Amino acid sequence: MYSAFGIIKPTDRNVWVDGLEDYRAVGAFSFMGRYRLIDFPVSNMSNSGIDCIQVYIKRKPLSLTAHLGSGRHYNINSKRGDLQVLFPENRTEHDLYNTDIDSFFTNLEKIVEMPQEYVVIAPAYIVCKMDYSELVKQHAESGAAISIAYHSVDNANESFLNCNVLTLNKEKGVESIMPNQGTAKNRNISMDTYIMKKGMFLDLVNAAHKLSSMYTLRDIVNDVSCTMDVRGIPHRGFFASITDFKSYYDANIALINIKTARELFTADWPIYTKTNDSCPTQYFQDADVKLSVVSNGCLIEGTVENSIIGRGCEIKKGAVVKNSVVLAGAVIGENVHVENQVIDKRAVLLHVKEVISAPDEPGYIKRADTI
Amino acid sequence: MKQNEMLAMILAGGRGSRLHDLTNKVAKPAVSYGGKYRIIDFPLSNCANSGIDVVGVLTQYESVLLNSYVATGRRWGLDAKDSGVFVLPPREKADAGLNVYRGTADAISQNIDFIDSYAPEHVLILSGDHIYKMNYAKMLADHTAHNADATIAVIEVPKKEASRFGIMNTDETGRIVEFEEKPEHPKSNLASMGIYIFNWKLLRKMLVADMKNPDSNHDFGKDIIPTMLADDKTLYAYKFKGYWKDVGTIDSLWEANMDLLDPNNALDLHDNHWKIYTEDVTTLPQYLGPNADIKQAFLTQGCTVDGEVKNSVLFTGVKIGTNTKIIDSVLMPGVIVEDGATVTRSLVANGVKIGKNAVVGSADSSAIELIAKRVKGDD
Repeated sequence: MYSAFGIIKPTDRNVWVDGLEDYRAVGAFSFMGRYRLIDFPVSNMSNSGIDCIQVYIKRKPLSLTAHLGSGRHYNINSKRGDLQVLFPENRTEHDLYNTDIDSFFTNLEKIVEMPQEYVVIAPAYIVCKMDYSELVKQHAESGAAISIAYHSVDNANESFLNCNVLTLNKEKGVESIMPNQGTAKNRNISMDTYIMKKGMFLDLVNAAHKLSSMYTLRDIVNDVSCTMDVRGIPHRGFFASITDFKSYYDANIALINIKTARELFTADWPIYTKTNDSCPTQYFQDADVKLSVVSNGCLIEGTVENSIIGRGCEIKKGAVVKNSVVLAGAVIGENVHVENQVIDKRAVLLHVKEVISAPDEPGYIKRADTI
Repeated sequence: MKQNEMLAMILAGGRGSRLHDLTNKVAKPAVSYGGKYRIIDFPLSNCANSGIDVVGVLTQYESVLLNSYVATGRRWGLDAKDSGVFVLPPREKADAGLNVYRGTADAISQNIDFIDSYAPEHVLILSGDHIYKMNYAKMLADHTAHNADATIAVIEVPKKEASRFGIMNTDETGRIVEFEEKPEHPKSNLASMGIYIFNWKLLRKMLVADMKNPDSNHDFGKDIIPTMLADDKTLYAYKFKGYWKDVGTIDSLWEANMDLLDPNNALDLHDNHWKIYTEDVTTLPQYLGPNADIKQAFLTQGCTVDGEVKNSVLFTGVKIGTNTKIIDSVLMPGVIVEDGATVTRSLVANGVKIGKNAVVGSADSSAIELIAKRVKGDD
């Protein structure tokens, strides 16, 4: 087995989720009621035997650090393992210089001191199940300088528009990494997940930093792909890329289907999260819940259909929730009708009758808002 | 709470033989309850929430699961420095052979050395098989205010049921003047909850004497408390108001689960200020299929339901197929009910599988049916 440490990289400017991102970093987004997006890459690393993980946060560190804690809930060895949270203190939120390379460069010592030979770099906005130890093995045995995980899709003309596309030659060599222009259906979407030796990674960070203060990891890997052996490794199974509001909504709704969920959640590959010690959910006499995913700690008296209900929500009598993603602690008041919405944490809907948006343009209710 | 002010000892050695097959492999305190809990989570969480740092758990009957379960003190937050949950099964000592715990008092006597190592001022004795929420810090405040030698928590029970309990007769100040074990003609309705606070120095002396007494049953209710009263020690009753249940039988365990379906139930597990902590399991949230119809029910994470569930409690990882009916029932962790099956007025034990189109239990049975073995279906 090859030794590797993990890096959860901050998001580039191609990712912006309206509403939700005003309050927290992408990794701290609630997902499917009980998870946070960061649970996926961190659990993937933990399950792959990667016990030393650095999480880089570009902005709004509060909810993410609170969720990560000591990392104990990710089943990381409490003595030999380590979960570090690294934050660029000298940068402001919308600072153009606040890039992933800048984060790595300011924390270069932290990377230098890692004893492992390889590094696995993954983002928080991709939801998938991935065995990184298998990836590192493939990478090491291929002799490539850098490997990038990708997922082949047949709807790149309408989805994954904020993602990057890998152009591959027949030997799966990467020729370029460019933004998806939406001009073709079949594309190899970059999963923004990189495997390389630690030394190579340090070289790239230094080179990028010298070239341009606004360079990202993607930019420098794209540059070196003409001269170095950069290869793609295909991924199969469930894959969602949360780069904007619609893709956040769609990924949640897609996983209401239990068959789809079973692609992502398998008994041998647990996705860990922080427990909240909520009690079970109570369904009352008038409850009517179908085709939905419900978390613990809820009180449900109304109707719920094709929706995700987060921890500790209250759905009051006569309320109807359809095709919606309801985050933890929200209250849907009596007879309030909600359709095609993302309702942020602790929002309270009391004095409105209807909050209905078009199916292809779901609406958003702000965190802790009372309507 | 200040370190060493009070240490808790939980008596968790009982088998609970009236729970039949449920306690074949686990002790009663480890029996599942309320969707995601085990009974012993209640006293342990109460200790953690009351600020008690050190808890000894006295185990004896089928203790393997219980020992490893409670040893992970971090589940209840009892993992700070100098705190912890300590599993105390009977053990061989340099000056004494291996003896089983002969009674509730003997279990404490055999662990005098453990308690001494913390030198607490008070010792709280608890039972590991009761379901309730209680702030022991308040009881301790009461105990110190009375300058008592011992304080016993009591709960008012209906007069007609009083003869099933140990009854405390008190004067107008709450001082206990008499204790009667299961009296035929009870003089009061204050039943002992088996929760005691003792001043450790005094209790220690009494336990040492009790160990040497060949006529003793080595039991708190039968021996220690009567001796203290006879010696004219000051014992006070601490009145507890709220939900309290000793689930001794299948019917009462079923009933205690059903109590949770009452929207106004006094146990109120939804109260975020007094959470009951338990094992953290890694499962999906609840998945409800297109044919789910759930009313008056208590469901926890890991359940998947595609049938009708009425007036029932479903525990972690229960799977309910299509065209099924679950009525007035309690389904313990990992139960699988296959398509077309009907379960009525039953308590289904951990991991039991109910086959296709099988029919289990009936609406007009007087007792609750315990299903502890696989029920074959059509296939």
